[in-house]
Amino acid sequence: MKDSAVIMIPSHPKFLSVIRAVTFKMCELSDMDNSAIEDVKLAVDEACSNIIKHAYKGDTNKKIIVRFKMTCKGFEVIIDDDGLKAQPALMEGRRLDDIRPGGLGIHLIKRAFDVYAFDDKKKKGNRLRLIRNRKGKNEDRDRRL
Amino acid sequence: MKIEIGDYKGLTVIALSGEIDMYSSPELREEMMTLIKQKISPVFVNLKDVTYIDSSGIATFVEGLKIMMRYSGSLKFISIPEGIMEIFNFSKLDKVFEIYRNIDDALGN
Repeated sequence: MKDSAVIMIPSHPKFLSVIRAVTFKMCELSDMDNSAIEDVKLAVDEACSNIIKHAYKGDTNKKIIVRFKMTCKGFEVIIDDDGLKAQPALMEGRRLDDIRPGGLGIHLIKRAFDVYAFDDKKKKGNRLRLIRNRKGKNEDRDRRL
Repeated sequence: MKIEIGDYKGLTVIALSGEIDMYSSPELREEMMTLIKQKISPVFVNLKDVTYIDSSGIATFVEGLKIMMRYSGSLKFISIPEGIMEIFNFSKLDKVFEIYRNIDDALGN
């Protein structure tokens, strides 16, 4: 449990603010710069929103478990649900210059994390693993340019 | 999130504050659709006091703009905080939305 935290929320959108608050504090403890913290907070929120929308089809009585781990290599977030299996091949998102509602969340997740992967071993539901490699503050800035 | 719909020199301004996310964006959508049904144009959206926006908030604005374009309506954004503007830029929304520093700048243009 060293340098890690776990939070479980109901799959109701009103609890996304709780996820954001915990993500923010964990990022602070991980010594990220402010812009990186905002990117990661948004990405984790988007991943949980996707679970509510797609895995649970809007059912607000399910659960979402988010685990945060800080390691010497970086910042890891593992998100579990018991919903419908995600189909990563169909989760490309829209082209960014194709302006229309929807399809943006996946881009916001991938810009914050270096690894975005579903665990195939999980039989029921989904386990999404997100890893942001540790970077220097200038590298965080350069990544955004 | 708080939504205040007001009037500035006869123009409709939606002033938003707080966090726009999957929980709050349906309320924003409802308010916007009420204005859109009346074919009000232009509509100014003041984001000065918005501290957070996610893709559902972005989608709400994009949907609103697309419907307004059917009647040549315009959706104009003013006072976008730096952090929110960064997401607008990343999402290429700066290419489709009219964005101004403040409402007087918008009127000057």
